Amino acid sequence: MATTAPPRDTAIEREAERWMNDPYAHFGYHNTRIHTLPREEVAAVQLAAMNLRLQERREQVQMLAKLADAQGIGQVGTLDELAPLLMPHDMYKSYPQSLLARQQFARLNSWLTKLTRYSPEDVDVSACDSIDSWLTAIREETPLDVGASSGSSGTCSFYPKSKRDYRLSMMGLRVQLAQKFGEAPRPGDIEDKIHAIIPLYKDGHASMGAFGKYACEIFGKGDPACWHYCFDFKLSSDLMWLAARLRAAAARGDAGKVDVPASLLARRAEWEESQKAMPDQQLAFVNRMIGKLHGQRVFVMSTSNLLYAAARRGLDEGLSGVFAPDSVFMGGGGAKGVPLPDDLEEVIEKFFNTRRMISSYGMTEMNSFSVLCDHDRYHVLPWVTIYLLDLETGQPLPRRGRQTGRAAFFDMTADSCWGGLVTGDLVTVDWDHQCECGRTSYALEKQINRVSEIQGGDDKISCAATPGAQAEAMEFLTGFGG
Amino acid sequence: MMAKRPISYAVLRGEVIESDLIEFGGRGGDITFLAPDPHRIVDRIPLASPRLMEDLYTISFDQILDYLAELGPRLELGRNSYLQEALEYSYDTAPTTRPIMDAFYHDLPFMFDRERIRRMVDFNIGIDHLEGWVEQQLNGSTVGIRAYGSRQLHIVAGNGPVLGALTVIRGAVTRGDMIVKVPSNDPFTTGAIARTMVDMAPDHPVTRHLAVAYWRGGDEALESRIYQPHNIEKICAWGGFASVKHVTRYIQPGIELISLDPKRSASIVGGEALASGETMRDVGNRIAADFATGNQVACSASRLVYVMCGTGDEDIEKLKQLGQAAYDAMLRLPEVISTRPKRYDPDLRRQVDTLRLNDDFYTVIGGRDDEGAVIVSHTSDRVDFWEYLGDRTINIIPVDTLEEVLDVVDAYTQTVGVWPDSLWDVVRHKGALHGGQRFVELGYGFNGAGLVGPQDGIEPMRRIVKWIVSERPLPGRPTIWDAGDQVKMLA
Repeated sequence: MATTAPPRDTAIEREAERWMNDPYAHFGYHNTRIHTLPREEVAAVQLAAMNLRLQERREQVQMLAKLADAQGIGQVGTLDELAPLLMPHDMYKSYPQSLLARQQFARLNSWLTKLTRYSPEDVDVSACDSIDSWLTAIREETPLDVGASSGSSGTCSFYPKSKRDYRLSMMGLRVQLAQKFGEAPRPGDIEDKIHAIIPLYKDGHASMGAFGKYACEIFGKGDPACWHYCFDFKLSSDLMWLAARLRAAAARGDAGKVDVPASLLARRAEWEESQKAMPDQQLAFVNRMIGKLHGQRVFVMSTSNLLYAAARRGLDEGLSGVFAPDSVFMGGGGAKGVPLPDDLEEVIEKFFNTRRMISSYGMTEMNSFSVLCDHDRYHVLPWVTIYLLDLETGQPLPRRGRQTGRAAFFDMTADSCWGGLVTGDLVTVDWDHQCECGRTSYALEKQINRVSEIQGGDDKISCAATPGAQAEAMEFLTGFGG
Repeated sequence: MMAKRPISYAVLRGEVIESDLIEFGGRGGDITFLAPDPHRIVDRIPLASPRLMEDLYTISFDQILDYLAELGPRLELGRNSYLQEALEYSYDTAPTTRPIMDAFYHDLPFMFDRERIRRMVDFNIGIDHLEGWVEQQLNGSTVGIRAYGSRQLHIVAGNGPVLGALTVIRGAVTRGDMIVKVPSNDPFTTGAIARTMVDMAPDHPVTRHLAVAYWRGGDEALESRIYQPHNIEKICAWGGFASVKHVTRYIQPGIELISLDPKRSASIVGGEALASGETMRDVGNRIAADFATGNQVACSASRLVYVMCGTGDEDIEKLKQLGQAAYDAMLRLPEVISTRPKRYDPDLRRQVDTLRLNDDFYTVIGGRDDEGAVIVSHTSDRVDFWEYLGDRTINIIPVDTLEEVLDVVDAYTQTVGVWPDSLWDVVRHKGALHGGQRFVELGYGFNGAGLVGPQDGIEPMRRIVKWIVSERPLPGRPTIWDAGDQVKMLA
């Protein structure tokens, strides 16, 4: 493909490097500044960053090199020219299933190594006998902290992100959530320890288990006394995989054919028990926290339904305003198909004493969470380039007017992987609109669907089988956001 | 002048309805079409009373054959403007391409061949059971059995236009009263056949017992009025989870569901296929015939090809050659059999392209031009998206043992193509136990006797009739009133 080299502008390149390396420090952790940059300037920096990253990463990430070679792309002259190099999210689960079932972690390591600039294949995994032990070995010996998630097909996806990626991601939450947009940050927003209440696991390789320790680092400034989790154990990726395989087998109509190691299958009851007990334990945990951290500034990352249940009960008992008013609540997620109550926000805000329960859009494969503004738009951080791809052709839709397409992103801050990702989400962006909230950053409209949900015409009948939709419960297991 | 808009005609018991047209379809970029507002005709869709079935018994089986044999030639495309119109519109709605649709329509009259139908009915039900009581003496009684036509509703699949015609034939020969709910991917063909029937013999019982209409599947207000035991006795639903799922809510005592569940198909090939260039060419031809015919839209089209060649490096190298042979064979097929797909599923394309980069584990042959692709696995794993394989895309998978293959044969597996002969007995037997429902010699999945008998593990023709039994005592049978203590109450 013929591409035109953009005129080299070293000043812009230097700026791009600052954004790529530590964007929050560069902008003084200033949420309002970050979201009010002129769009033309952002686009220029994004383009410069893309070329810098492409040059650097194609030497380091083998799968990117292959893709770039196949597409004949060495550099890009416009943002859209990068679109063919965005990697489908399926890439991160494109290993043969039997490697996992037969516990061939060395071969899985070789596969994973092609997706990151780090080298998990240098880690000795000969003694590993589970997904948990494999990913722990990688975490201990490399900068990586691989994110594992199990989708509705029963396939476990492994995204080799780094610890630095996680920290950046958590810092993005702190900067965007703790500050009120339109005001300068107060020193405490950046410097103070904030209690992190996460009604999930102490540890794990899925985001539900992994976030805690990074929340402790970033919100609690590393003070273990500021880290509050519900389950004092590691969320097992093996058990999550087992659950996904069981579900997939049941959906296939043959629960007997579950291709996981026998030792894992034997733990089925353990998983089912823990799932059954989970909601009650989480509610009890939140109630404990209400007593323990009364009046303090907290960061809570949870599902809306759980917060609602705790708040409803508290209000019924005559309590309200339990935490400090500048506390931060990130809700959302939760099981799809479970309707949210009409008075959800009102109840949570009144009980917990927060201005607003904030939702965000993000996924394991990205560092950057997009936070919902008062006008119901998810504002995307300036170091993330948004692409809306035509569902038919996969080509980028024009960056003007209101467009709906498959979301794809290039995140220049990606430390371990390439950073270009095609998602399974259908989103809408109005490119010409400046949001009433005052942010200049581009934004996704609140309504986000899975592309797979909307495809397929009405009332077409075929004798040939296509997979049924069985994703609901898995949505919860795969964690927050995307 | 306004362009003519496609109409899915309702044809109700000898009357063509083309009034009160409203718009349907159009979702996901599909074309829209017009059909009579089903809510205005809903009361005329079911047969008013079972009493009205009597006229079907004033004619003989041979007279029904006469009717169908006369209808066949009238369905020749060149002389039938209804079919010409339906074909023209179907190019837009059908999942396949113009040459394939042309071939389907061209072959339609041959389905109505008198002797072909007679053989099918005799093979399935036995003509004598349709024509009268078949009696025999059994356990001290004369027991008679007769197959009666039922009042039936067909939710027909739209991935091949032959299915509407087949439904009409099956209903006619079994003296059924048929309601055909046409699908949005084939809303025109069955109506065109029914209009031809009205022109030919408007008052004939077979014409009078056919109601064809379109409504949106799942229209609860409408369906709850039709799907009642006083209107229909059987619902025959083809494929599509959605179509079967929303039908199940109407199943109640008095309504039987005949479910032809959605299926997929596979091929099982012995390692001998890799013996020489010659065997590879032969097996490649056979594989292509079984997956690419009709552009892989049918449930009987193969999607996964297991080759028992082992998983060593040399085996995989040869397997790639077989993959190439199958790919080349696909490209050689005539366009009435197979063409470049109408629209290559963009999600599938993305997945195939992803594997193309993953060349340690997969070799992708073709597919750069949306023409279809052969994905050769290097391990015994099928691709993660195997359920979405279509548009002339198959996955060839090496395995070490037959057991590994049988593990993936399940209740969703319809046709299994087998090669060579040495595997036939064992695959047919063990495959049936695992759930497979149809076994064919590799290469003949679309080139056999036709839908003449069992399908998906059941016998649809035997299911759409009502099997009525009559019993009379043979002389000397003890009576309950005189010799009650000698009468054994045995089921």
